[in-house]
Amino acid sequence: MTEAAIPFRSIAGALRPTPGDIVIALLATVLLVVLYTHYWSGIGGEGERARIVSADDDVYIVSLSEDSTLTVHGPLGDSVIEIHQGRIRFTESPCQGKQCIHAGWLHTAGSFAACLPNRVSVTVLGRNRHFDSINY
Amino acid sequence: MSRGLLLALVLLVSACGQREAQVHDTQLLVFGTLVNVSIWGGDKDTAVAATSAVEQRLVQMHRDLHAWQPGPLTRINHAITARKSVQLDSEQALLIRRGTELSRQSGGLFNPGIGSLIGLWGFHSDDGPHGPPPGDALIQIQLAKTPRMSDLHIKDGRLHSDNPAVQLDFGGFAKGYAVDEAIRTLREHHVDNAIVNAGGDLRVIGRHGGRPWRIGIRDPKNSGVIASVEVAGDESVFTSGDYERYFEYQGRRYHHIIDPRSGYPAMGSSSVTILSKEAIVADAAATALFVAGPEAWQTTAMAMGIDQAMLIDDQGRVYMTPSMAARVHFEIDPPPPVQIVSP
Repeated sequence: MTEAAIPFRSIAGALRPTPGDIVIALLATVLLVVLYTHYWSGIGGEGERARIVSADDDVYIVSLSEDSTLTVHGPLGDSVIEIHQGRIRFTESPCQGKQCIHAGWLHTAGSFAACLPNRVSVTVLGRNRHFDSINY
Repeated sequence: MSRGLLLALVLLVSACGQREAQVHDTQLLVFGTLVNVSIWGGDKDTAVAATSAVEQRLVQMHRDLHAWQPGPLTRINHAITARKSVQLDSEQALLIRRGTELSRQSGGLFNPGIGSLIGLWGFHSDDGPHGPPPGDALIQIQLAKTPRMSDLHIKDGRLHSDNPAVQLDFGGFAKGYAVDEAIRTLREHHVDNAIVNAGGDLRVIGRHGGRPWRIGIRDPKNSGVIASVEVAGDESVFTSGDYERYFEYQGRRYHHIIDPRSGYPAMGSSSVTILSKEAIVADAAATALFVAGPEAWQTTAMAMGIDQAMLIDDQGRVYMTPSMAARVHFEIDPPPPVQIVSP
């Protein structure tokens, strides 16, 4: 059969979406919204894990979904780090300035705090970094 | 139709999965702060080599520019105190000339020659000051000596000071210079898309792939982000805030930005954010506008050639230049009221 011989009604019928096409289109729309929100829109941005680097350059990856208290050894003594309800912070530090404690809770992916004298740093990790860098 | 949709979704998921993998992120504990180097694109070996070169340069500058640990800068300060001339290397001469010019533009509100005053407040300490604040009589004695950058003269590479009270402390712009040097080092290693963030102050080159870099600006009163700005090309974002270094004594907070006119921590400002190409200029201007305060910051901005500035005062009120207001997006709801003031 040549192309010119296809009746118009048949072409229109072929383009009409089937119930299966409609289901897939709906699923695709939902998936696109979820992917856009998750990866591009910047909505959310909560960190999922944190990277703790100690004075010896040891690197620990910890989950923010499990509440816990960690002690990290440094040249001045112990830095104590608390994880609670998806957030992380320094709670005790042997340094004088306590800048690390003043930094407060961290939860946004990409945010970080450090105790420079004790050489311990905390960085919140996450697939969805709302910001590439934080100015402060 | 179905196969086309599925193919599009597969491609979309693949693209999303690769997005963050193209950023090489490295943290360095160097220059007395936490430095984050983010490089977009390129191969890992190039990023590692470039970041390593940045680290070496920052270690060197930290040693050379330190205001209180014995080194090249303290030797210069000792010579000034002893009323002797001293030979400068090219970097020292450059910094003193830039510092003098920036101080002149700021009307003396940015003054890298008040090292003695800063030391008197206890900020010449790796561990931060602990108080109590110095007595007023000691502060007035330092002020009466009127140390100014214009007291310094460089001739044939040698520095001479008319005033032995000048003590150089590059803390107000050394970080900016270091960030500029770090970016220059990255470019020497053929890195064209990157952020160097040193303790919260940063310079950006290029882009994050197909979009500008997204920078969050911290809320001076909370740990969250108050605003954001998109930057691309070559631009620095620097903030001076009263929350960075401070001590508390008898319930009162004393921060590290000393007003050269009063000898006390500057009053009225909580933070100042500057957008400018050169980090050294942004750094000095952030300090100068902070000292100028809510009443006079726009005059100082104009004198220093700054057209993108934001000041948050100690009551949380936000002031911006029109150029800054056009770029800043608030991340808090509701956004704070903003007074837009032409410089």
